[in-house]
Amino acid sequence: SSQLSSLPLQILLYVNGIYYVFYFLATLAMIIYKSQVFSYPDDLLAPDLAVLFLMAILEVPRLYLGFKGNLTEAEAPLGLSLGLTVGSVVLCVYLLLWQTYVLWADVLLNALLLSAYGLESGLKVTAIAAFVS
Amino acid sequence: ADTRDAAQARVRSAPAPVTDVARLCVCDLLVAQCDVNCCCDPDCSAEDFSLFTACSVPVVTGDSQLCSQKAAVYSLDVEANPPERIFKIIDQVNPSIFCIHATNYEQALYLKSPEIPTPENFDQLLDKFGGATFSTEPDSWNLDTDAQNPPDANETSRYEYGLPVQTEDAFLRLPSPVVSSWCSDANPAGFLVNQATKCIRSVSVEKCDSIQALSMLFYINSSILAVPKSSQMVNITVQSIAVQSLNGMRTLLSSSDVLRLPMVLDEVCINAVLGVNYHITHTDTGEIIEAAAAFVLGAISKEALSIEQSFEISFTQENTQPVALSGNPGYVVGLPVRAGFQPQGYPFLAAFLSNKHSQLTILQSTSTQDCLAAQGARAPVLFGYNMISGCKLRITAAMKCQPLAQTLLDVLKGQSFPEYVASFGNSQAQDVLDWVPITQLHISEQIISHTLQSSCQIPVSLGIEVKWTKYGSLVNPQARIVNVTATITTSTLKQPPSGRERIIPIMSSVVFTDISSPAEPSYKAWPTINIKLPFDFFYPFV
Repeated sequence: SSQLSSLPLQILLYVNGIYYVFYFLATLAMIIYKSQVFSYPDDLLAPDLAVLFLMAILEVPRLYLGFKGNLTEAEAPLGLSLGLTVGSVVLCVYLLLWQTYVLWADVLLNALLLSAYGLESGLKVTAIAAFVS
Repeated sequence: ADTRDAAQARVRSAPAPVTDVARLCVCDLLVAQCDVNCCCDPDCSAEDFSLFTACSVPVVTGDSQLCSQKAAVYSLDVEANPPERIFKIIDQVNPSIFCIHATNYEQALYLKSPEIPTPENFDQLLDKFGGATFSTEPDSWNLDTDAQNPPDANETSRYEYGLPVQTEDAFLRLPSPVVSSWCSDANPAGFLVNQATKCIRSVSVEKCDSIQALSMLFYINSSILAVPKSSQMVNITVQSIAVQSLNGMRTLLSSSDVLRLPMVLDEVCINAVLGVNYHITHTDTGEIIEAAAAFVLGAISKEALSIEQSFEISFTQENTQPVALSGNPGYVVGLPVRAGFQPQGYPFLAAFLSNKHSQLTILQSTSTQDCLAAQGARAPVLFGYNMISGCKLRITAAMKCQPLAQTLLDVLKGQSFPEYVASFGNSQAQDVLDWVPITQLHISEQIISHTLQSSCQIPVSLGIEVKWTKYGSLVNPQARIVNVTATITTSTLKQPPSGRERIIPIMSSVVFTDISSPAEPSYKAWPTINIKLPFDFFYPFV
């Protein structure tokens, strides 16, 4: 077929966008809950919040570049999006393992996000390969 | 040196916390002894366990918020014979989705270990925890702060009872003994708290002009703030100076505006402050308007190593006479009964004069027990305290009856026997109805054989009977004096034959009688159901 854009990637990116909104709000709410219920000193709360907001800031261009690259069948934005995904993965791993308090709900949300990132990365690599060739 | 360092290092760190649930036992309080019903106690043997009835600590776990953790479960198997303890370690799971899966913050789940003081952090720890209250800022109430930092953030702009009287640098000091009898200068004078303290200060005659607490300036140099945290100052004026010589004789100086500082003269230190009496005048809105200090200066001899200083402070409201209340409103047991006179010539606008000289007093027994040498020693009548006192009168043949009767009346009643007694402990002089007149009765003991009425009678006893009642509410009854009767008993003087003398006893007594009627309970009226049919209920039949 003449269409090189990857449909699964598109679906995944779209679902990722919606899921990320939920993920961001849920993680923020849980950090607020943890700061009230547990002892959460300010010098430990600040890095956790910074990581969460940094991830949100990274997510927007990442998803936009992913959409654009996939739809215009250009490998440059898709490659850039892949690079940003690596950064998001690192931040997601931080929130999964090195947060001050890791609740069971945190583990579930982050694991789901990580698997989405992993799947996305795989699909992006195949799409780039398809566009280049 | 090596072992000492090791020992110091051991001391510097607190023992590591025990986190193994199998070894933690909260009920193990007695060392090397078995605690009763404590199933986790390692000092208990199987025989001890067989005597327990229940386990006081059934489960030992860490923080229950953790998703999965080890828990030590202790229980008693009462079915077995003899009963034995069952100890199990199980995995406790918290099913909540918000359970703590992992934590990277160690102190989250354990109590914080306190900082061990070392020479390096001692000062900082002392600043933080050394005061009466712990504060994170060094804003504590101590003498070294230059600025005034009152601890009460939402202070009103007036003095209230008990608040320390503030001066421009700290607070008005009333040196008083703390723990031991030595003077401590850190005792603040509380507003409206009349205090009198005595304490000992160590002195040396050589340095007496450099000891601050001996000089008048120390007590009057800082001005008092009229209201807390304001800039209105009230200077402390010198009301009077009395100079006490080495043998104890006091002379009041005529001019009190010259400041007399201590100095050494012929190996004696003169003008040292032996006593300060502060009089503070305030308005009824809690503002200080005047402050005066009366000094007693004395001399310290070379051998004296310490002197006793006495301090007093009293508060008076402006435009009122200072009157010590004996209760508010009911009399308090142990406080003097207030009494007074009605000034002559004012039958309607009757205000009573009540001061220290018109107190209700009775004769005070002296060691010599001689009525005529009684020297006027009198004891105040304290509410609720029945008192009896007396003296012996030695009658000789040469004594004349009339003067003797008058002298005895003075001995029994005192110089100014009051006419009225305050009904309540806080009766004001202007409230005429709050004062009870003293009823005076005369009873004469007649001896049957001498029936001549005209023979001279001398008073032999004075009995004051004070009838009081409980007034007010049942839960907080106030004592109120209802009736005071002073009974003088007289008897005929029997003169002894010349050369001999007779001794007769003279007695005075005060008795307080409670004549309160039993309390009447009063109940609220029963609620009535007010049902009335409307006017036209039976329309159209009516």
